[in-house]
Amino acid sequence: MTPKISLRNVTKRFPVRSGADASAQGTLTALDDVSIDVPPGDFLALVGPSGSGKTTLLDLLAGLTEPTSGAVLVDGTPITGPGQDRGVVFQQYALFPWRTALANVTFPLENRPVGGVRLTRAQRVQRAREHLELVGLRGFEDRYPHELSGGMKQRVAIARSLAYRPDILLMDEPFGALDAQTREQLQDELLRIWRATGTTILFITHDIDEAVYLGTRVAVLSARPGRLQAVVETELPHRGHGGDIRSDPRFVRLRHEVWSLLHGGDRLVAEERAVA
Amino acid sequence: MSAAVVTGAATAASRPAALPRLARRVGRTAGRTVWGSAAIVLFLAVWEFAPTFLLTPATRVFLPPLHVVLAAGWQLTLDGQLESNIAASLSRAASGFAIAVVVGVAAGLLIASYRRLDAFLSPLLELFRNTAALALLPVFTLLLGIGETSKITMVAYAAFFPILLNTIAGVRGVDPLLIRAARTLGVGRARLFAKVVLPAAVPTVFTGIRMGGAASILVLVAAEMVGAKAGLGFLIVNAQNSFLIPDMYAGILAIALIGLAVNGLLVALERRFSRWRAPAV
Ligand SMILES: Nc1ncnc2c1ncn2[C@@H]1O[C@H](COP(=O)(O)OP(=O)(O)OP(=O)(O)O)[C@@H](O)[C@H]1O
Ligand SMILES: [Mg+2]
Repeated sequence: MTPKISLRNVTKRFPVRSGADASAQGTLTALDDVSIDVPPGDFLALVGPSGSGKTTLLDLLAGLTEPTSGAVLVDGTPITGPGQDRGVVFQQYALFPWRTALANVTFPLENRPVGGVRLTRAQRVQRAREHLELVGLRGFEDRYPHELSGGMKQRVAIARSLAYRPDILLMDEPFGALDAQTREQLQDELLRIWRATGTTILFITHDIDEAVYLGTRVAVLSARPGRLQAVVETELPHRGHGGDIRSDPRFVRLRHEVWSLLHGGDRLVAEERAVA
Repeated sequence: MSAAVVTGAATAASRPAALPRLARRVGRTAGRTVWGSAAIVLFLAVWEFAPTFLLTPATRVFLPPLHVVLAAGWQLTLDGQLESNIAASLSRAASGFAIAVVVGVAAGLLIASYRRLDAFLSPLLELFRNTAALALLPVFTLLLGIGETSKITMVAYAAFFPILLNTIAGVRGVDPLLIRAARTLGVGRARLFAKVVLPAAVPTVFTGIRMGGAASILVLVAAEMVGAKAGLGFLIVNAQNSFLIPDMYAGILAIALIGLAVNGLLVALERRFSRWRAPAV
């Protein structure tokens, strides 16, 4: 089966001014030779320390930037820019503040046909209402973003990305700014939506618990330059069905495994520095 | 109603009756209005009574009590002078202001969109912006005479800069994250401007328009004082020269009221277009 998402030896470098001398140009390697396949319907959680290139990877997949070398494939085809088949949820909500919750969700529907047909205004509103309801925001259609709480904003952003039914949802630390309770609630809702829609999800986080809880697999990136350290399979079938799975011994073991990978990575980097 | 996010409304739910709350709010608003108007009432009272009781008859001529000024204003209204001068001023202000809005917004959008154009023009713009419009008044008079053209140009010039600079700032200030988001949501480069940049810039542009409105009235009156055959500035200077001091004050009062009204209108307009912004508490 063709993987839904496939990264082949992806490297991304940025030109940077190095040190005090502003004219000296250096390069910073944000991602170094990353290869990973994500099968359709998978929920891949990506963890890594700050600056390990997680957002860089998401930008590549979203089609907002291009890799320095390597290939980014979706359904076996190299991507050429942002596309209908991928939805993005950004860490800082990225709602259009001049649009109400409803109008934010209709936004993508105005821009391109959905499933080959252009929706009428009434259809767009109908579709947006359904998706706001899906994320539990019925009754908040006419609120402006500044009138919503952080959790509500992120729900709107999720509804907006789901409204045109992309096959892939790319999420960049979407719950990072939320309080623990709201976060857990949204995690379970996301799992419910994922099961209901069969969307392939790439979920970036730096919270190990969150990664182990949500992902069917957890990919671990090392600190700068971002390299793929390992991919850990999780087998926690009862996620999101109530009960305190987080204190299950298997959960604890998986969390420790990911933790060791992350921290082993740190030590490796420290050793490399000592050698250099 | 889901009022949990509206601060203040949550506390209301815990109170049994809404009526006392309403009464209290009305009371509070009324109290604020009274307190806010107190200074104005006091000022008008001083204007009315100070000349009569504190000034000598010789100086009282230069600062007549309020009721004398109001009577003069009423007389000017009756014989149509005040209206015709207001009409002359407003039509000039409106023409110049309209030109400034159209040119200022268009130029602002253009400059903000092309970096090279911006790099080329901004030093010059900075120079002009820091040259007080009134300092250029003689230049305009020399080049364009004392007719309508020179006054409308003056107004347009003065209103142009705040509008231009705010438009540029508005377009610049668009959160790049919103542009990234829009691109992932299917907006191509061509429509990015209409779908994201423009709506995001609107409140800042309107701030510029409000500032431009204030500037246009300010400059117009000054221009009319220097050379004109009609207009409020003319009315004031003419009254002074003819020693019709109460008429002069009536003209000044009219300008104050018009300025207040124009500003109120533009603030309302600005607020209407910035409704989606979080109120700066
Ligand atoms: N446009 C850019 N120009 C130069 N350097 C960049 C650019 N974008 C990212 N970087 C650098 O690339 C590295 C990876 O950044 P990235 O934003 O992908 O990290 P991250 O894993 O998302 O971190 P965080 O968890 O803090 O969000 C960082 O060192 C960052 O400074
Ligand atoms: Mg990031």
